[in-house]
Amino acid sequence: MKLKKILCQVGLIVFMGAAIGLILRFPLLSEYGAGEFLREDAVSEEYPGILYITLAEAEDLFSTRSAFFIDSRQADLYHAGHIFGAVNVPYGADDTDLLLADWERPLDETLVVYCDGEECRSSVLLAQMLYDAGFLDVRIFFGGWVEWLGAGLPVEGDYAP
Amino acid sequence: MLRNRILIRVFSLIVGGLFIWAGILKIIDPLDFARNVSNYRVLPPKLSLVVAITLPWIELLCGIFIIIGIWRRASALLISLLLIGFIALIGITIIRGISVDCGCFGTFSRKADFILMAQDLGMLLLSGTVFFKAKQKLPIR
Repeated sequence: MKLKKILCQVGLIVFMGAAIGLILRFPLLSEYGAGEFLREDAVSEEYPGILYITLAEAEDLFSTRSAFFIDSRQADLYHAGHIFGAVNVPYGADDTDLLLADWERPLDETLVVYCDGEECRSSVLLAQMLYDAGFLDVRIFFGGWVEWLGAGLPVEGDYAP
Repeated sequence: MLRNRILIRVFSLIVGGLFIWAGILKIIDPLDFARNVSNYRVLPPKLSLVVAITLPWIELLCGIFIIIGIWRRASALLISLLLIGFIALIGITIIRGISVDCGCFGTFSRKADFILMAQDLGMLLLSGTVFFKAKQKLPIR
């Protein structure tokens, strides 16, 4: 009887938590329902090898030198400023395929692809290309350049913070 | 008896505090947490978002309730169940060879590995103790 009461309380806590979350984040769910994140979902479903990483993870991979960073933005933005040591593979440029074809990097290397930040999608598209090209560990740093720069992490380029 | 009561309060405070902290960090950035959930490759993306929106609030409520002593046993049970789930998930992730950020404490998260498993086991010990020991009617002094 007592256990039943406790289980009821457990159910109530779960219900309250879920209700508060769903009510407060209803706009986010609406955006989702409207297809705002469909592209992202498509990546997760079609490319299970691609991971999304946070700033902390990107920083960790950077400081331990355990990943190769790729900037998927256009060349002028890359030259203005980019993550220290990152190479530029501008997505959508005429020579994107050529750039990848010339690469002689091991396929099991950890690659971190980024673009400007949450709003851009070139990192996702380039990550898909890399995955299709046979790279096994491709990660997308969604925070991108904006978040990296904002955190005061090492950068290089013409831009002087 | 008094020592028991103090011990339960201390355990509740530790576990509750950690759950409140974990909950708040995830509530702040649900999309980030949704990505973490999705990275485990256990749930479909749609469900990952729903989990990312609801789970932090459940954690937060559990943390608050266990500390202030309302429905303490129920909160301890729910926290224990969540921890068992997290431990199983980490185990599965290690076996599958997926290197993933645990997502447990927002940007303060660490890798889902054996150390994290041990930490969760430690917390499970505390929450389990609260659940089993708090049932004894403690004298009010």
